[in-house]
Amino acid sequence: MTAVQPRFDPVVHAPPRLQICGLLAAVDSMEFAAVRDSVGVSDSVLSKHVKQLEEAGYVKVGKATIASRQRTSLSLTKDGRAAFAAHVAELRRITG
Amino acid sequence: MESEGTTTDRAAAAADLAALQAGRAGMADRAMQPWWYDVALGLLVFELISSYSLRANWVTAAALVVFVAGCGALMTAYKRSTGFWVNGLRPGPTQRAVRVWVVGYVVVLALAAGAEYGLGWRGAVVAGGAVLGVPIALTSRWWTRIYITELRKEL
Repeated sequence: MTAVQPRFDPVVHAPPRLQICGLLAAVDSMEFAAVRDSVGVSDSVLSKHVKQLEEAGYVKVGKATIASRQRTSLSLTKDGRAAFAAHVAELRRITG
Repeated sequence: MESEGTTTDRAAAAADLAALQAGRAGMADRAMQPWWYDVALGLLVFELISSYSLRANWVTAAALVVFVAGCGALMTAYKRSTGFWVNGLRPGPTQRAVRVWVVGYVVVLALAAGAEYGLGWRGAVVAGGAVLGVPIALTSRWWTRIYITELRKEL
């Protein structure tokens, strides 16, 4: 198993974004509403943070219409998974 | 205003890890699928494999359509109930359950096909489908238990 190199990532670090990445790291995709409810923020706040993660290339946003309702799902990209794993490794290094 | 810092201290790092753990624990609480999900999955595997016994391509094709549609419906139901989807073939400890299922599938299917097509025991593939329908339901549940344990494990 390859050890993850600890690396502090300022994009991942902000509390809402860290929580978003933490949820997405454990799944393939998660509904926007489920992320919002788990993180405990409003739609607009979540959208803002998702946009920042998307711009960094860490999150992919998918849209699908199911039963005439549009559903938005979020997933971590490969780069996002790597950045999150490195950031968690850094947090663990700091806590010793 | 939120912190956009570039460093963190020990207490803040510990709090961040605890918050991440709490988020994963919340997911673990709702990750287990309802019992009927596993029963339906077992029935879908049974109907697909049993269809080989009729030795008609159109029957197998129709069974495959039902299987794919059924799996899609189960996926939608799981997403609605949990808000997320996890690939069954993901790397990690859950691979254990997948390996057991694949080995069992290959062995049982080979025995059933050998009996039906080699020895001429009509209905052996139907029995094989029934035999495989039960373990897929059990393995599906086992897989989720492993996943839940992984979610609850310290990051």
